[in-house]
Amino acid sequence: MRGRCFVCVVAALLVVLDVMVPTGVGAQDRGTTTSDGWRQATSGYSMAFPRDHGSHPDYRIEWWYYTGNLESADGRRYGYQVTFFRIGVDPAPENPSAWAVRDLFMAHLAVTDVDGGRQWVAERLERGGIGWAGARTGTLDVWNGDWQAELVGERHRLVAFDREFGVELSLDPGKPPVLHGEAGLSQKGETPGNASHYYSLTRMPTTGRLLIDGDEVEVFGTSWMDHEFGTSFLEPGQVGWDWFSLQLDDGSDVMLFQLRRNDGRAPRLAGTWVAPDGTTRIIQPGDIELADGRRWTSPASGAVYPVEWRLSLGDPSAELGVKPMLDAQELYAEESTGVTYWEGAVEVSGEVEGRPVRGLGYLEMTGYVGRPMSEFFR
Amino acid sequence: MILFRRFIGRALWRDPVRTAVTVAGLTLGVAVVLAIRLANTGSVRGFERALDLVAGRTSLELVGAGVGVAEPALAELGWLRDHGRVSPVLDRTALVRAPDGTEWPVRVLGVDILRDQPFREYRLLQITEDNLDDVRPQDFLELLVDPGSLILTEQFASRHGLTLGGPARLVVGDVVHEMSVRGLLRDEGPARVVDGQLALVDIATAQWLFARIGWVDRVELQLFEPEAIDEVEAKISARLPDGVQVQRPAQRGRQVENMLAAFHFNLNALSYIALIVGVFLVYNTVAVSVIARRREIGTLRALGATRGRVLRMFLGEAAALALVGAGLGVPLGWLLAQGAVRLTSTTVNTLYVTSAATVPSLGLADLLLALGVTVPLALLAAAQPAAEAAAVPPIDAVRQIDPSARARRASRRPQVVAAVAFAAAAWCSTRPPVDGLPLFGLAAALAVVLGAAMLVPALLSWLRRVGRAPLARWLGVEGLLAHANLSAAVSRLAVSVAALVVSLAMLAAIAIMIGSFRETVAYWVGQTLQADLFVAVGDRTPVGAPLTISAETEAHLASHPQVRAVDPFRNVDLPYGPDGDLIILGAGDFEVLLDHGGLLFKAPADARTAMRAAVDADGVVVSEVFANKHGVSAGEWILLDTPGGRRSFKVAAVYYDYSSDRGLVVMDRRTFARHYGALRPTGMTLYLEPDADPDLVRDELLAAAGADTRLFIQTNATLRREVLRIFDATFAITYALEAIAIVVAIMGVAATLLTLVLERRHELAMLRLVGAGRRQIRRMVVIEATLLGALSQGLGLVVGFVLSLILIYVINVQSFGWTIQFHLPVGFLAQSTLLVAATTGLAGLYPAAVAMRTSGGDRER
Repeated sequence: MRGRCFVCVVAALLVVLDVMVPTGVGAQDRGTTTSDGWRQATSGYSMAFPRDHGSHPDYRIEWWYYTGNLESADGRRYGYQVTFFRIGVDPAPENPSAWAVRDLFMAHLAVTDVDGGRQWVAERLERGGIGWAGARTGTLDVWNGDWQAELVGERHRLVAFDREFGVELSLDPGKPPVLHGEAGLSQKGETPGNASHYYSLTRMPTTGRLLIDGDEVEVFGTSWMDHEFGTSFLEPGQVGWDWFSLQLDDGSDVMLFQLRRNDGRAPRLAGTWVAPDGTTRIIQPGDIELADGRRWTSPASGAVYPVEWRLSLGDPSAELGVKPMLDAQELYAEESTGVTYWEGAVEVSGEVEGRPVRGLGYLEMTGYVGRPMSEFFR
Repeated sequence: MILFRRFIGRALWRDPVRTAVTVAGLTLGVAVVLAIRLANTGSVRGFERALDLVAGRTSLELVGAGVGVAEPALAELGWLRDHGRVSPVLDRTALVRAPDGTEWPVRVLGVDILRDQPFREYRLLQITEDNLDDVRPQDFLELLVDPGSLILTEQFASRHGLTLGGPARLVVGDVVHEMSVRGLLRDEGPARVVDGQLALVDIATAQWLFARIGWVDRVELQLFEPEAIDEVEAKISARLPDGVQVQRPAQRGRQVENMLAAFHFNLNALSYIALIVGVFLVYNTVAVSVIARRREIGTLRALGATRGRVLRMFLGEAAALALVGAGLGVPLGWLLAQGAVRLTSTTVNTLYVTSAATVPSLGLADLLLALGVTVPLALLAAAQPAAEAAAVPPIDAVRQIDPSARARRASRRPQVVAAVAFAAAAWCSTRPPVDGLPLFGLAAALAVVLGAAMLVPALLSWLRRVGRAPLARWLGVEGLLAHANLSAAVSRLAVSVAALVVSLAMLAAIAIMIGSFRETVAYWVGQTLQADLFVAVGDRTPVGAPLTISAETEAHLASHPQVRAVDPFRNVDLPYGPDGDLIILGAGDFEVLLDHGGLLFKAPADARTAMRAAVDADGVVVSEVFANKHGVSAGEWILLDTPGGRRSFKVAAVYYDYSSDRGLVVMDRRTFARHYGALRPTGMTLYLEPDADPDLVRDELLAAAGADTRLFIQTNATLRREVLRIFDATFAITYALEAIAIVVAIMGVAATLLTLVLERRHELAMLRLVGAGRRQIRRMVVIEATLLGALSQGLGLVVGFVLSLILIYVINVQSFGWTIQFHLPVGFLAQSTLLVAATTGLAGLYPAAVAMRTSGGDRER
């Protein structure tokens, strides 16, 4: 459940369109489309690859999310994030112009130099227009300008450079795709339909190069890829979320998120445990406890983020401490897209079933600054 | 200095009328020069200012061949991203219909709102009722979603009663679109362009509104490293596909400047006539003051003043006059510029480019220019009389001499100068233009003027010899006296008369040139305008931002039962040749033109056959102006930029055209569509059945189009009138400038007469004593004045005739490239002759009144 940033944009668009997300889509509407022509994420969809790496233009919202922890030969540590968003605006524009907006394409790029204590970020917002941004169906090929994620054979090739920094990486798929929720249907709201189709590649051996402040560095490490598509996600009262992707040194991977509310009700919790052999198990909400710890105040946005967390899981039993590699990993965007969030490399330590583990991962925290989501969804 | 004040200052003071006339003449001269300069820069600067505001931080732009950049070519330009931010733009004009039904032109900028922000400093004032804070860019997204969204400037909206969230009608060509005002722009950045007449829409909306799906007008580029612009420009240029060029935004301003260069140059040249006449007056004043005060000069010399000192004093007199004239001329020039802008803006807007011309504010440069031109000219004019003053021997202080005695020893030198000048004129008129400007032609005209001025004293002397008897016979004793008076003052009158001759000659020349031109155009219009009805959108089509006729309207017009043939035509501006001169590329239906139209061909002999061969082939017909300017003749090939690259076209024929001095290249509409894509026409000509009544068909077509229509349909007769109306409006400024020069010159004649009258106080008193009546005295002076006027006009006509030949066959051909059939506007010339004689006669009334007073009151002598 990542990318509050673009949900905000979507929310703004929805206000503009004066089309509310149909929060009351009932069971009888399963498998149908919303009144404005988008398909709902409902059960019964069966994932297949590489087809589902490709774009799903019938759905309103879709993203491809790559994060990873890398290091150079001399042991310097780096984190990176490359994200491609597709936000449907109008499934069938009346205007025949190529510039008529069917989808908006947004992309974020962030590189963290852990030892240097710095993070670089860049973002792009484009329309499909004459092909300067887009996403193919049937296979992985999504681009925004010259930023691109595509399938080369089995491997994911990731290229995104800003002027002074960027990444060019080759990612091995690693474990097979992990389907979250029920066969890939990840429930977000109380109402059926307020959900997404969601899978991840949780442990992708990665090699390539980084451009950091104009200098090239050869790197290797592990990446995590999320791909999610759906049409309606949030419901009134849901203000933001905290999302974890953790890769432990015993070979297990963990995905956890909580959707926070501002109406006093308990947050919605969900998670998936991926064993070293790739088998997966849903972590039941009742088995998840998230406790926020140390806080960091962003000098740019003024937002206060709980940058350290304690995670307690019941089955399998685990006690994990999460600490940021660097406090200042906020993506400040008040001047551009207007949505600011924290997304950064983290390290993990603790025990699983009584055995000590360490690990690396990424943490995303949204809804700590700006208007609560419920205002957009009034 | 004290001596200067006593000797020169007091003299100027004692003869206030002459001083005032001289200063007024200079003031007017300076004012006119400055006014034209300001008006000229104003018209270009209005365009350039708009260009700057709209270009914003754009450092480079990519333009296509006249019709913009096609999207397939644009899609290949993703690599531009390495050099900077990229923003495709549609830049158009439309009208906004206000709630009260009035329509106001706006520049419509279609941009990709998502990527355009860094380019132009527009800030939304508000987009929703409750949102008055600075709006973040995401609020622009609203524009993406609704193709009916429009952003206006706050200034424009409040002026025309348009409100945020309210409806606004956008008139594009002949189609009215219902839009809604979704945003207001703050009064900054591009919103300041031309009184806030700017509308912003999304690029998709713009393509749809203006029927340009698949095309953008240009692509703007904001470089990451603006300081390396030369290098980047070269790199980009090397990599661009055929049919797309990179240039700087200012290039468009330069193109407009080039386009207007000949027009402005000629206006500038004309404006100097008044100044030259003013300078003649300085010469006159100094010369008279030297002649009248020989004894005083002699006394000064006897008292020890050196020659140099005398020389400096009289030069100082000229400089003082020039300083005051220039000082007064600068503010007056600014005032006149307001009028000049109004007079020229019609021409500029009709024939060249739509821009809101404003008079730039006065700068120090203007003052320096006024002084820098006037003072040296005045000193030059005063050099000869001042030198003469310096040459006065001290002995003259005691000699009783006739003030004009020296001048009687008329040398032959002026005639020699005249002969040299005429020879130089003849030579200059055979020289080619310099940089497209008729510098040698103007030099020839100046030489003729100089030569004529030099001949004036000799001519006056000759007339003195032959004129006595007829004057005595026709005008009696007053005529005889007038002759005697004038004869006595030939040398002093010569300069005033020369000034008048010069201005009258210019008037005659311009009148002959314009008359010939008008006659030629009238003939051309009669031959060429063969269609019965002419359809346009709006009352005129602004250059560069065409208003187009929609497909529905085109079908509606063609389907009228009495319409026999239609020729939809379209013009685009296309850079041509090494300098990128903007020519007009036209597309019309060659078959219809051949069957029904009446092009007047210049070459080749079988032009119609050649043109028929160019139907749907890569052949063009070019205007005479184009052929002259670019040295092209029928049968040759020219290279034109097209969106697909540079292509060669065969010049099938050259035809006469007087609609533009920019040069026209016309191709068959099928050829055009093949190379440039299908463009909506900007106009249509309709040919009717022989028995149809054009007025009736016109009314039927308009009635069927509805009351709301933007169509303008002119019949053949009304269009012909309109063409000549525009023609006359174009030359209104010419006459205005010339009239000022003549006023200055006539003032000069009056001032000279006044001096003569004042000097002849004793004689006039004597005349009264011997029995002359006051009326006779007045009659005598008025006859003198009228004689001078008539003489000047006579000589002016002769010189003007010669000048008009230079104007028509040298200057016009070099500046504009038109063939003008010589035609003498006899009526106009006759009228102006009478008018000049009458006006100078009237101008003589004041000196005459002074003469009456003087002669009546001065009896004690």
